[in-house]
Amino acid sequence: MANICFSDIIFYGEGSMSLVTLVFLLFCVIVLGIYFIVPKKFQWIVLLISSLFFLFYKNFTILTIIEALIVIFTSYIIGILIEKNKDNHKKNFYLIIGIVIILGLLLYLKYSNLFITTINHLFNTNYELVKRNSLVGISYYSLIMISYLIDIQRGSIKAQRNIFKCALFMSYFPILTSGPFIRYENIKDDLYGSHKFNYERARRGLLRVLIGVFKVLVISERLGNFVNTVYGNLNGFSGIYIFIAALLFTIQLYTNFSGSIDIIMGISEIMGINLPENFDNPFCARTITEFWRRWHITLGAWLKDYIFYPLLKSNFMQKLNRVCKDKFGKKVGKKVPLYLSMLIMWTMIGIWHGGAYTYIIGSGLLQFLFMFLEDNLEPVAILITSKLKINRESFGYKLYQRIRTYLLFSFSMIFFRAERVSEALKIIKGIFVNHKTKTPFFNIHVYSGKIELLVFIFAIISLIVIEVLNRKGDIRDKILKRNIVIRWLVYYILIFAIMIIGCYGPGYDPATFIYRGF
Amino acid sequence: MKKLGKIIIFIGIFLVIFIIVSKVLRIQRNPITEFYKEPKNSLDVIYIGGSNAYAHFNTTLAYNEHGFTTGMLSADAVPLAATKYLIKESLKYQKPKVYVIDIARITEYFSMIEEGQIRKVTDALKKSQNRTDCINELLSYTSVPKSEYINYYFSFFTYHDFWKDKNALRANLLNRMELYKGYLFNIDVAQKRKQTPNVWTDEEKVLHGDTINTLNDLFKYIKDNNLNVIFVVPKRVFGEVELPLINYGVKYIKENGFEVINFNTLDDFQVDFDTDLYNFAHLNTYGATKYTLYFSRYLKENYDLEDHRGDSKYKSWDMAYEKFKHDYRETTGDNFEELVREYKEMGY
Repeated sequence: MANICFSDIIFYGEGSMSLVTLVFLLFCVIVLGIYFIVPKKFQWIVLLISSLFFLFYKNFTILTIIEALIVIFTSYIIGILIEKNKDNHKKNFYLIIGIVIILGLLLYLKYSNLFITTINHLFNTNYELVKRNSLVGISYYSLIMISYLIDIQRGSIKAQRNIFKCALFMSYFPILTSGPFIRYENIKDDLYGSHKFNYERARRGLLRVLIGVFKVLVISERLGNFVNTVYGNLNGFSGIYIFIAALLFTIQLYTNFSGSIDIIMGISEIMGINLPENFDNPFCARTITEFWRRWHITLGAWLKDYIFYPLLKSNFMQKLNRVCKDKFGKKVGKKVPLYLSMLIMWTMIGIWHGGAYTYIIGSGLLQFLFMFLEDNLEPVAILITSKLKINRESFGYKLYQRIRTYLLFSFSMIFFRAERVSEALKIIKGIFVNHKTKTPFFNIHVYSGKIELLVFIFAIISLIVIEVLNRKGDIRDKILKRNIVIRWLVYYILIFAIMIIGCYGPGYDPATFIYRGF
Repeated sequence: MKKLGKIIIFIGIFLVIFIIVSKVLRIQRNPITEFYKEPKNSLDVIYIGGSNAYAHFNTTLAYNEHGFTTGMLSADAVPLAATKYLIKESLKYQKPKVYVIDIARITEYFSMIEEGQIRKVTDALKKSQNRTDCINELLSYTSVPKSEYINYYFSFFTYHDFWKDKNALRANLLNRMELYKGYLFNIDVAQKRKQTPNVWTDEEKVLHGDTINTLNDLFKYIKDNNLNVIFVVPKRVFGEVELPLINYGVKYIKENGFEVINFNTLDDFQVDFDTDLYNFAHLNTYGATKYTLYFSRYLKENYDLEDHRGDSKYKSWDMAYEKFKHDYRETTGDNFEELVREYKEMGY
């Protein structure tokens, strides 16, 4: 079982530079300082240098240099070639070359093991898995650069003629670890433009960073302690704990991911670079379809624009539409290509999340299945609720829908978290069996005592407060319009909560220090 | 300007809260933190070592008997390699006539040094280059990767979740570690637990390479700074395997021209192993009183130590002794001065 600690390198940032490390904090302070000191026309150069530093941090090898150069030169040259050619066939030809190179590199570096595992399963072979060293953010920048080439081909943007600016677009450091997906059209002015230091903007940005760090270190990591302990010893806990761990993992994942995005957005905001929002209260979603409009929004939008719609409009799907319409009628004929496109898109989302079947099932196929069922069972649900005279817009019904969505998503995340499919199945089995084990909830060894349990409860309550306040507009507006006493109180509470109850550092072990005695 | 002012005030308040929180969320006070409280150039003797130092030598009794003041630069199981840095630290604040260095841990494999040992000494030191050097050297013997040294430089990273341990937190808030000018006294150390003494022979075993290097470095530092130093092996029970190493260490130190006393092989000084130890490694209050009477007289006779009794500048020492006597009576129900009188009559 993978002992997931999302910010597992929280303090030392081994490998890439983790967002909640002192190293990253220091890095950002230096970058921001220089960014606002240098003449404005050089600001983008500061960003480029710092992004390259971030990209190669602890990973500066010949292979990673080659990897970066391939992506930068491919995007730059192919972009110009696509733009220069008037002939659509040639444009498409260059686009395909560009996509093959970038996607090929991504598949080679990140998905070799998925390929090997599949071969081993299918042909009963025993090829060893490989370990490939790639740059941080390869999953992000590969898709970002592919969309850049597609947009040039579509004529919606102009190709960047400065290779260094092209490199900055590919490597803009805040987004490399957790996104969001950026579009050239939306970000180019901010990225290459000049920005004066703005106190209000800095204040808002810093507050967002603080909220993000709070989410990651105080909420996510603390929930992670519980989840890791239970998942790490499935036989030692009864079904109810495994069920709670499965529910909490979803919140752990959300707070970690959205917290990271808050940090990224906050840093960018200070510099005057606006990034697209990636979350919109996903736990308010009443269906899985709505959930994905609120969760990792930029990934969903990217896949829709560059995979789903082009696929749906492709000749093959149009032909399939006609064939199905003739054979099964208009309604079915319309649905078959739709579902097929959805299936392809969700499989790709699963693959994108990581080169393992657990991801393909958890964040891909199960999501498709839920949406398929929602779509087809909706008429049944409408019929039942109307017969029972249930108001579908009542608070109670909406709550039921939200809980149902949360449970379904949490179920799928069991696969997402597990290292192997068999382990996910073991967890699911564990939820339904072994209920006789009496483990008092408030006394499990996850918590060293009542104080830690209170901190755990505080973490959950603070998340609810943040989410509720954010639902009715930006939480920062509500804080910033208060008087200075309230405002500063909030800042200090956030800062000291992070410093004191945040999960970071080696941790204090009473057995080592106090009771060892002399 | 108004905004700048706000930022400065905000940071100022932050620092104040941070300092308070850091003090609460950190290891309990120990003799080293007490050492810093002494006025500049007010200490005549500096006693360096592990728990044998602060559990064995009653600084308040030594003052009451002879009038000299002793600073304890001591913490649990202080590694030998920290000694040079503790001397360096002391020289920033004091000009002692003599250093007493407890070498009970001379037998220790440096690779076995634990996190707690390092922290208890370095966390208590004030932030300085000397502290950083001390941390670096102590960690260099361990397997701790360099990327984690920062947790030792800034102990808050480790202690921020000190709150989980409510007993330690309570003890810290109450500022508990019953120290009397660096000497430890409480109900535990007043216990009498029978121990079996070692049988000392002349057998020797060469010390570990790291220990020899550390001693050589220490000798050089002492000589370069022209310091008076006396090394002591405390009266206690050692592991049998340690005895030949200690014998070698005593010989090695003597060969290098330094004074060293092994209280375990000294005919002049005896304690009762049935009643004078509270565990195998430590004298209890009774053993400590005998040791202090004996050793303080030795120091007074052999080093030119001033008598500060009656000097108003040293009033805190009189008060510390009075407090110790009071607490001794509260804890044991006995009169400490009567105990001292009794021991003196026995020849201590």
